[in-house]
This record gives sequence, C-alpha cells and structure tokens, in this order.
Amino acid sequence: MKLICLQENLNRGLNVVGKAVATRTTLPITNNVLLVAEQSRLKLAATNLEMAISCWIGAKVEEEGAITVPARLLTEFINSLPSDNIAVSLSPHTKTLELKCARFEARISGIDAQDFPPIPKVEPVLATKVEVKALQQGITRVVFAAATEESRPVLTGIEADFNGDELTLAAADGFRLAVHKLSLITPVSQPGKVIIPARTLMELNRLIADGEETVDITIDPQKSQVLFHLKSFELVSQLVQGTFPNYTQLIPQSHTTRAVVDVATFLRATKTASIFARDGSGIVRLMLTPGKELTPGKMTVSARAEEVGDDVGEIDAAIDGDEVKIAFNGRYLIDVLGVIPQGQVALELINSSSPGVIRPVGGDNYIHIVMPMFVQW
Amino acid sequence: MPIRVLDPQVISRIAAGEVVERPASVVKELVENSLDAGATQVSVEVRGEGGVNQLRVIDNGSGIPSDEVELAFARYTTSKIASLDDLGSLLSLGFRGEALFSIAAVAEVDIVTCTADEVIGSYLSLKGGEVINRGSQGRSPGTTVTVSHLFRRVPARLKFLKSPTTENSHIANVVSRYALAFPEVRFRLSIDGRETLRTPGSGRLLDTMAKVYGLELAQNMLEIKSQGGKGGVLPMVTGMIGSPVINRSNRDYISLLVNRRWVGNRRLVWAVEQAYHGLLGVGKHPVAVVNVSLSPQEVDVNIHPTKAEVKFRDEGAVFSLVQRAVRNTLVELTPVPEISKLATTYRIAEPGRGISTATYLSPSLPLAQTPAASLPVLRIIGQFRSSYIIAEGPDGLYLIDQHAAHERIRFEQIKEQRLHRQVEVQGLLEPVTIEASPQQKERLRTRLDNLAEFGFVIEPFGEKTFLVRTVPALLAARDWRAMLRELLDSAEGKEDWEERIMMLIACHSAIRAGQLLSDSEMDELVRQLEQVAIPNTCPHGRPTIIRFGLGQLNREFGRT
Repeated sequence: MKLICLQENLNRGLNVVGKAVATRTTLPITNNVLLVAEQSRLKLAATNLEMAISCWIGAKVEEEGAITVPARLLTEFINSLPSDNIAVSLSPHTKTLELKCARFEARISGIDAQDFPPIPKVEPVLATKVEVKALQQGITRVVFAAATEESRPVLTGIEADFNGDELTLAAADGFRLAVHKLSLITPVSQPGKVIIPARTLMELNRLIADGEETVDITIDPQKSQVLFHLKSFELVSQLVQGTFPNYTQLIPQSHTTRAVVDVATFLRATKTASIFARDGSGIVRLMLTPGKELTPGKMTVSARAEEVGDDVGEIDAAIDGDEVKIAFNGRYLIDVLGVIPQGQVALELINSSSPGVIRPVGGDNYIHIVMPMFVQW
Repeated sequence: MPIRVLDPQVISRIAAGEVVERPASVVKELVENSLDAGATQVSVEVRGEGGVNQLRVIDNGSGIPSDEVELAFARYTTSKIASLDDLGSLLSLGFRGEALFSIAAVAEVDIVTCTADEVIGSYLSLKGGEVINRGSQGRSPGTTVTVSHLFRRVPARLKFLKSPTTENSHIANVVSRYALAFPEVRFRLSIDGRETLRTPGSGRLLDTMAKVYGLELAQNMLEIKSQGGKGGVLPMVTGMIGSPVINRSNRDYISLLVNRRWVGNRRLVWAVEQAYHGLLGVGKHPVAVVNVSLSPQEVDVNIHPTKAEVKFRDEGAVFSLVQRAVRNTLVELTPVPEISKLATTYRIAEPGRGISTATYLSPSLPLAQTPAASLPVLRIIGQFRSSYIIAEGPDGLYLIDQHAAHERIRFEQIKEQRLHRQVEVQGLLEPVTIEASPQQKERLRTRLDNLAEFGFVIEPFGEKTFLVRTVPALLAARDWRAMLRELLDSAEGKEDWEERIMMLIACHSAIRAGQLLSDSEMDELVRQLEQVAIPNTCPHGRPTIIRFGLGQLNREFGRT
C-alpha cells in the first residue's frame, strides 16, 4: 500500500469516520480505523459494531493495500500536520504505516485489515431517496422525544414508517410523542416500518455537510440493518428490534381550547419560567384565558419555587374555547418550541389532566403531544 | 413421697439460685452494696476459674457497725429500707436484703468492715451460711468482702458455668456497667492479678468511657442534649451517645440506666436504635450510655430478684423521651466523619480550630462536635472517578459521595413535598401495564393509596395486572419500573412503607456514581447538601461526606 493524499482531505475523512470508533470496547480492533487504498481513492472506515461509517477521499494510489491503525493516534497526528501532501506507505512485514508530510515523518504500528469486523452490506429490500434538508428537519423535530433511559429499548429509537412516497418519523418516551411526515423523492415499492436508534440519526444529522443534496436509504428488515448513502460517506446501522407502540390512538381527536401564539415569545416565556422551576422538576404552569369582546386573549406562563420566589409571563394569544390551566415540564416545552423555527404555534388542550397538542400553524406535517404534570393550583 | 416442709438449708440454697447465678452475680450484688454505702472507690479482684476460687470487693464506703455485721448475713435484713412505703421512693440499688444471705449460702465468705466512728473494725467468717469465726481486725473505714469456693457445695450450679474466660468477661461487663453508671466512683478491676480496668472517678462520663471503650470511641461520643430536666425536673435523659461514624455489630454497647441502675429493657434499647434510624447501615448498632432519671414513683424495680427488669408506669412516654433526646442530639451534633488512624499520638478532633495533639486523657477531653446543620463552606476542587466530589474546607479536605449526597437531598425534597402535599407528578402519555406476582399483588393492592400520595397513580387491571397512569416527576426520565419492582420485592420490614417509598424514589432519582458532573453541577449539589437537615448520611445510613483533617495530612507528609 502506497499513496499520496492531501492533509485536509485525510483530516476531514478521519473526523467523519471517527464518530463510529468504539470508545469502550472488549474488541480492541474497533478502536482502530481501517484504511484501504483502492483505484485512485482511499477508503476510511470505522465501526463500533452497532454503527459503521465509511468515507472515501481522493488519493494518488501507487500500490493497493489495507491496514488498520489506532484511530485516535492517527486522527490527532494528521490534524496537527501542516496543509500539504501526505505520503502514506505500508511495510507489509512489520505492519507499520509510514506517513511523511513536509518535514514530519511518523510510523504507526497497525493490526491486519483482515481482522477488522466486516462492514455489513445492506440488501436493498426497501430502497428510497430523500432530500437532505427534509430529512434533517424531520430528525431534528423528533429525535429529542426519544427515551434516553433504556428500560424500554424500542423507545430509544425512532420509528420510520415508509409508505408510498411518504416517510413518517415518530419518537416517544412515555411522556411525549413527536411525529413528523416528509415526502420521499422515489416512492418505496412496498410499505415498511423500522426502528432506527436515535443515536444513529443524531450522528447522521451532525455528519451531513453542506453541499449534500440527497440521501439514499436502503433497509434490510430481515437482517435488521439500515444504510444511509451520501456523496461523501456511508453510514450503516443496526436497527432496534421490537414493535413501536401504536401511537395514532394517543393523538387526541378533539380539543376544547385552542391557543395560537408566537413561537419565539412562548419559548422565551417558558425559558424564563424554567429558571424558577429549576429546583424541582421544572414545573411550568400555563393559564389560557380567552379574550372578551374588546380585550384580546392571553396566556400566562408561570413558575414558582417554594420559599424562593416566582415568575409570571404574559403572552398575547388568540384563544378559542374555555379558560384552562395546565402544568408541563418546562424542559419538554422548550424542547418542542425550539424545533419549530418561527411563526405561530397552536396549543390544543382539553383539561388540566389530558395531553396537550402542539403543532405549527400553517403546516400539517408535524404534531407533538405532551402529557401534563399534576399540581396543586 | 409425703409433702413436708423443706429444711431451711435447702430453702436458702434454692433461693440463692435466683440471686446468685454465676460469679458475675456475686460481683454485681457486692458492688451494688458498695455503691449504696457511698463508696468513692471500689476495687474488684478476681482469682482463678473465672472467679469461682476467689472474688474480693474492697470499698471505702460507710462500713457496717460491728454489732450489725452478723445480722447483715441473715435473710431479709437490710439497712436500705425500713417500711413498705420506702419501696415507692427507692433510690438505693439494693433493698431486698437477700444478697449477702444468698452468697453466704453457696460460698465461703469473709468480711472485714469498719465504720468511720469505730476505732477497730470487725471480722466475720462464714461457711455454708454458718458463722465459723468472728473477731476484730484493724481497717480503714470501708468494707472488704472475700467470697471463696463459690458453688463448691452446689455442684449442679458449678456444672452450668461457662469457661473461665466467659465468666471473667461477664464480670468485666458488670463492673464496666457500674463504672459507666457511676463516673464519680473510681473503679478498679483486676483479673488473676492483671489490672483490666481502672476508671479515674472524675465524675465525667466521657473519661470513664475512654477507659472502658477506648479513646478512639470516646472521641466520637456526643453528649445528650437533655430533654426536659430543666432545673432538675424529672424525667430527664442524660448520657453519651456515639456519633454515627462508630457502630458495632451487636447491641452490647448500648447501656441503659434507669436512675443509674443498669436495666435490660428491650423497648428502650429499641428506642435508642430507632433514633439512629437512617444514620447507621443495616445490621449496625450504636454505642450509647443513656441514663433516664425518673422519680422513683414512676418506676418499679421490684419485679425481678436481680432487678435486671424494671417496669415503668408510662413506658410509652419514657420510650419517646429517650428516642427524642437521642435523635435531637444526633441531628444537632453529628460531625462530618474524619478519616484518622489513631497511631502513636492521640488526636482529638476539634473542628473549626484545627487539630490539637492532646495528651492521653487530658483533664478536659474535648467532644467531637460540629453543628451538622451547617456544613463548612466548601470549594469544589474536582471529581474523582466520576463518583466522588473533592472539596476544600476551612479545616481540611472533604470527599463527598455524589450518589449518597444527592440521595439525601432528594429524600428531604420528597419528604418536604409530601408534607406540603405538593408531590410533583408527571402523567404518562399511555398507561403502562405492570405484572405482579401473587405476593406483590397483595402488597400493591393494599398500598395503592400510599403510592398515589407519592405520584404513582396505579389501578388494578385484571387478574394480576396493574395500570400505571402517572409517575413521580423526579423519576420521569429514570427507570421507574425498576423502582416499583424493587419496592414490591422488598419484604415488609419494620420501617414503614412511606419511608421505603421515599427512600427508593430518592435512590432511583439521584445521580449515579460514574456520572461525570460539571463544576456548576457539583456546586449546586454541595449547596443543596448544605441545606438539608441531616447532611452527613444518606437515607440508608451510609456517610455522604468524609473529612481529611489538615493536621492529619500534615502529619502524613511529615510536616509537623
């Protein structure tokens, strides 16, 4: 193996695959990154056995070959080099990788590439293409609602429901539910539902660089694998086994009070109240008062800390229906309001003990349900 | 066999069995006599076979006038009470008039005694209850009683004695107890020529404790903040109790005294233990010397020949008095436990003023005490192994167990919320079903109301299934199912359910060991810990915070 590549390219590539390098593992080779010199390009790959990322960078390959070397060592070394050509060569007997850049020279001992866990090939049982922007928005809007606590593994994942030319993403942690619909560029041949680990989607979201336009998604439900293919990298992940709860029945079909407020104002009021709610469980109280003939409706957002103090914020709101009081965990509100970028948001309620529904006004592709907290008023 | 009146000798020996059970009983009776005689020095000498060969008790008490000496050995003779009315206002340890008679019935007894008014003392020697020798002998005021060949003529009793080591330890136990009850009396115990105990008789209980239990333990004793007792009003609880850092695996270190009489009352021992609830780990017992002073009318000691049992007129009141006094002392005075190896020099913790190197048993051995309600101002240095917070205080280095500390904070929070009926409850989007085994089912069914008060709204749903509708907000992002399982699996112990629920919610909602904390999180944790009522232990009784004294660190580095 012998090649020359640019420091910037190798550095970027290593940073991408670095997200999949195992940190605490019983299989030491998963701490390594795989380097494969192919025709005119260098493939980098890393896996933690749950998720694998591969990435290709341009290189002038003089001799093909493969090796694995400790990922952190290589990444930190390359990162510290000047922006110049790097000459990479492998001495096959000693399994030592030699790197030369400007006046720096390094030798890194490696482990044979054959010992590296194979990166799974995903059979295209279900294949589709989606716009990067749409997918990113979808992930952002649901991923925070997935459970972080692992007692019910299915809830740590995000359900992806492919049906015709539509993809529905849903996440729930027992207290809230987020559902987002987006359209597919190429419709799927048959409907299919899988649960993708929330962690995988968060990493995917982080890795997508500017300049990417579409993502190819390939799923093999039998082998329980999903592949996201982009121009600059590929990510393969295991799926979460199990059945996601049937959430459609949890979405309230009606409401008695509906408030429409400005997202940014509502978010600021909630954040302010949360400062006072910090000591306890973050209880933020909402009171919705419909307007009379001449006075506009209003929503108050308040919090109080026992023996410390309290805070009340008032927001103008268009309110239809009865007066209602309800308390939520402030963090849940901040999470959802934070992913609705601008404009108006509708809050639909029945009473203080029924779930609240939040949806952006002028878009029916997103709905968020959150369970209230029960408090003494 | 016809019924007949028993021979007086047989009667006396049967009766003696009630009082004199083993060598230690003899010591007890004789020491009590010495104390009742107002002795300020009592010396006990034990020789051979666990005291069977010879026991000698020497005191400097009032002595017995020569014309009364012989009478003292007759049955039911005493100088301590005169009439039935005296029984109701009894202040002396003895009163039955049986001790000397009983001892003389089962052993050979020699007595030398002299009162302050007499020029020369008297001497009496008895064998099998019969006087075999009498005379005069010089002696300073006081009494010496020598008991030899105990049980020689009662082989049945002899057979039931344990090994000499065991009998010796019983004797040591008896003497220790009286030493603790009478710190103003100088006690000396020698067993087979070795001096095993010598108390200073300074009147300070702490000095005596240092001698009986060792200095390390004495340093960690707290003086009971007596309840009531203002201006000598009875009842009053006094004594010393161990701070929770010291514990023993049995109850032998709890000494209970009623009007300075040692008693074995289970309820009162339990009262002391209850006061330590949540401060000591499971299976650990405190060290304590607790004296309850009651007016004699409130207590009846005449229910057991050796007076090991007493009856209270109002046992519940005494129970709660003891419990409250001990608990209050603990809550107010428990210091932060300090790591120290008591090596060659004896160090006495004196938080806030650094550490002084006091010489062994200085005239005023200071007590370990810091008002626990205020932890010192701590500056966070960092986190160790993602489990312990390291902090600097004015008087040393502090290690805080982050899980235990947070558990305590949560526990107090939950208690507070419960008190004000403001438990924070988070609704579940979809009710979650849990399955219960038959025993679990019964437990759950009867405790649904309890659980609802803490935020678990649970409804029966079919044969062995239950529906959980809401959970405590503190547990929302935690594995509350595991917490419920643990609750249902735990056997119904002595502690009540509410407390168990609170403890489990606290435990499961607290941050774990192994969790990396940011500086601000650590600050917040310590700030909150400073505000709870009992910051030094977690609800299970493990310590939350440990101090390394500056003096000790200096010494370890050879800087002193």
